[in-house]
Amino acid sequence: MSGQEDITRIRVQYTKGHELRFIGHLDMQRLWERLLRRSGLPIRYTQGYHPRARLNLASALPLGFISDAELLDFWMNEPLPLEDIRERLSTAAPPGLTIVSVQDVDLREDALQVQMTASEFQVSFFDRQEKAELKGKVEALLSQEEIIRTRRKKTYDLRPLILGLEVRGGDESEVGLWMRLLAEPGATGRPDEVMDELGFENTAYLVRRTRLIFSNY
Amino acid sequence: MTYLSSESLWRRVERLLPTVVKPGRYVGGEINQIVKPWDSVQTHIALVFPDIYDLGQSNLGIAILYDTLNQREDIAAERAFSPWTDMEAALRETEIPLFSLENKRPLADFDIIGVSLPYETLYTNFLNILDLARVPIYSQERTKDQPLIIAGGESVYNPEPVAPFVDAFTIGEGEEVILEIVEAYQTWQKVGGSRYDLLIHLAEIPGVYVPSLYEVTYQDDGTIADVAPTHPAAKTPITKRIMAKLPPPLTHFIVPNIETVQERVSVEIMRGCTRGCRFCHAGMVNRPIRERSLEEILTALRRGLDQTGYENLSLLSLSSSDYSQIIPLIEGLRELLTERRVDITLPSLRIESFSEELMDALQTLTPGGGFTLAPEAGTERLRNIINKPISNQELLETTRSIFKHGWYSIKLYFMIGHPQETLEDIQAIVDLCKTILKEGRKLVGGRARLHAGISTFIPKPHTPFQWAAFDTLDSIKNKLEILRSGLHGAKIKMTWNDPQESLLEAWLSRGDRRMADVVYHAWRNGARFDAWREHFNIEHWQQAFETVGLDPGFYSHRARDLDETLPWDHIYTGVRKDFLKKDYRWSLEGRVRPDCRERCYGCGILTAFNELRLKSPDGGWKCP
Repeated sequence: MSGQEDITRIRVQYTKGHELRFIGHLDMQRLWERLLRRSGLPIRYTQGYHPRARLNLASALPLGFISDAELLDFWMNEPLPLEDIRERLSTAAPPGLTIVSVQDVDLREDALQVQMTASEFQVSFFDRQEKAELKGKVEALLSQEEIIRTRRKKTYDLRPLILGLEVRGGDESEVGLWMRLLAEPGATGRPDEVMDELGFENTAYLVRRTRLIFSNY
Repeated sequence: MTYLSSESLWRRVERLLPTVVKPGRYVGGEINQIVKPWDSVQTHIALVFPDIYDLGQSNLGIAILYDTLNQREDIAAERAFSPWTDMEAALRETEIPLFSLENKRPLADFDIIGVSLPYETLYTNFLNILDLARVPIYSQERTKDQPLIIAGGESVYNPEPVAPFVDAFTIGEGEEVILEIVEAYQTWQKVGGSRYDLLIHLAEIPGVYVPSLYEVTYQDDGTIADVAPTHPAAKTPITKRIMAKLPPPLTHFIVPNIETVQERVSVEIMRGCTRGCRFCHAGMVNRPIRERSLEEILTALRRGLDQTGYENLSLLSLSSSDYSQIIPLIEGLRELLTERRVDITLPSLRIESFSEELMDALQTLTPGGGFTLAPEAGTERLRNIINKPISNQELLETTRSIFKHGWYSIKLYFMIGHPQETLEDIQAIVDLCKTILKEGRKLVGGRARLHAGISTFIPKPHTPFQWAAFDTLDSIKNKLEILRSGLHGAKIKMTWNDPQESLLEAWLSRGDRRMADVVYHAWRNGARFDAWREHFNIEHWQQAFETVGLDPGFYSHRARDLDETLPWDHIYTGVRKDFLKKDYRWSLEGRVRPDCRERCYGCGILTAFNELRLKSPDGGWKCP
């Protein structure tokens, strides 16, 4: 066994593509455990009869979404060159998961979930939307002082969770939406809820997470 | 029929996916999946397991064939499973045909559709898949341009209840015959010819049964008069195929992205069983016993872990503790477990092959938790009748030893409805369980737990009990009641099979070709997912029997005459009917037939496959 001083904490930024769109959060954790095991890296396991790889995903991505900017931490028993780590992870990755970057982080840093404050999303529609109409809907929603909704039998106000909401594209490119939503423990905005409020419950669209925003990162 | 190009089909499916439960079932894209450009290969085969992905993806048979076929450059094998009911409704409503997971192509675009039928309660799902694929249900209605439907698996040792739906069956082990079928198909394509010509070419392959080339006639009493070939290419009997030597184990497993029933590296350590339990279909049809070498198993497990990243591994066999090198294997596993930080699942250990040494070795492998044994009957008398001769003394000693070695929970499998069973045999199950639990309490105290798993005996084709009758529902219910009232208590748990589901299994496993119409009508009545308790509805089946005009009791509750031509007699497993008959007579006398590893009783398997054995002296056969 290696000593405590050799333990390293590795942060990975990765994408979740179309192939993994319908793979949920718990399944992503299992997927990562197996990816790490396949990589052959000296990963750290939990103690006990049923050892599991120690890993930590920053934020659950709802089923059906894709992402350019997912983050995960895992721990290793010994340090290795970052380029080697990146290469071994890339080789072991399933279709739809690309390793964007790999970095060393301080062992004492807080868990990723704790550091997160907001997420940014981009929404594209399966069918063409009128830009002016879309703008009207967005303005109407943002002008409301509160947007009371229920999630799992609890009432909450969606309005303060929307940090930003804009119509993007148009003219040459397709019209879509951009939004920044709060993501703090107990106060996380979901893009699909914003879409429902905009009147798109029965419209086919695709959500892409483009950025995770951290308090201190 | 026009088909959608796969891209636009996929665009349409993508709109449906957010509306269904677990859409990850329908997208493929797993690691180790093999996707070949559609036009880059000559022959396309869809491999179908007719239940949902969550269940079917773990099936080792399909996984082996997928790997075998895809190793050929001219073949692409892709997967398809039953859609769950919500997805089925969505597909039907939007008129999207069932598609493969790899290239997302409609199944009707494939040259061959190969269906795995390991158990009978998949039959209605099989028909449903044909329907969702827009392939005619009945073989005779298919045209030359439609896919060839082949089926294999343990249940098709009696192919008759699904005969009219299948173009060709593979009987026995499929690893080699599947490639021979593809080659015959390719030759037929090159030469040209009718669909009938293709079927005749297929019938010429050993182990392939083309049911449309046989005519079945019946006697006045409803029993079979004859099963007669209508073409010289069609042989009787059809002898099953076996591998002279088990091929290198699969290590390139597809790793599902969503949770499925068994996610682990599974290596079959041996095929076949020499014990000869008289109720056991697998033990009779999978002869002879062939072992893989210790080194091959351990290497395959390591490679499998490398390629999958699984955290669990499993050894497959009908009776792992009979493996001739079980102790060294466990030693090797122990090393592997520490090295890779993985868990192990080790099923099917036999009570009589337990030694202290084995128990000591196992203790370090799977410490704590539960331990499973299968005495199958409550009394020594009945265990002799079913040829699972274990004395109560042995059983008690084994369970004591299990508790002593640190396990505190024991699961015991019993079967009810055996031939010659009395209510005393049922009461004996209760007494036995209580005695074992009491002993356990002495050894490990209040932690001792017992779980009794009760299944119902079904007289299966090709076993010594194939002539016996299936117990009546009233009798089964009465026996379950005795067990339920006897086996209650905080430390005892009892689970049991739904007797009606067993009845369906009895009808289907013992049916003749007329039963196919019952299957068809049951499906039309709405039967699907018959293996799922929440979906199974016996009324669909009772109505179907009525529509077709057949008496269900004729199939399930009738003891068959020893001289009767049975619906599956033209399928030969290598075990002679005479041998089965003699074994059945022995059972009536309570006479036991010992393990045939020790001495050969001439079941017929060596005669049937003698040449094959001579050609492969290193095949690991354990026949004496």
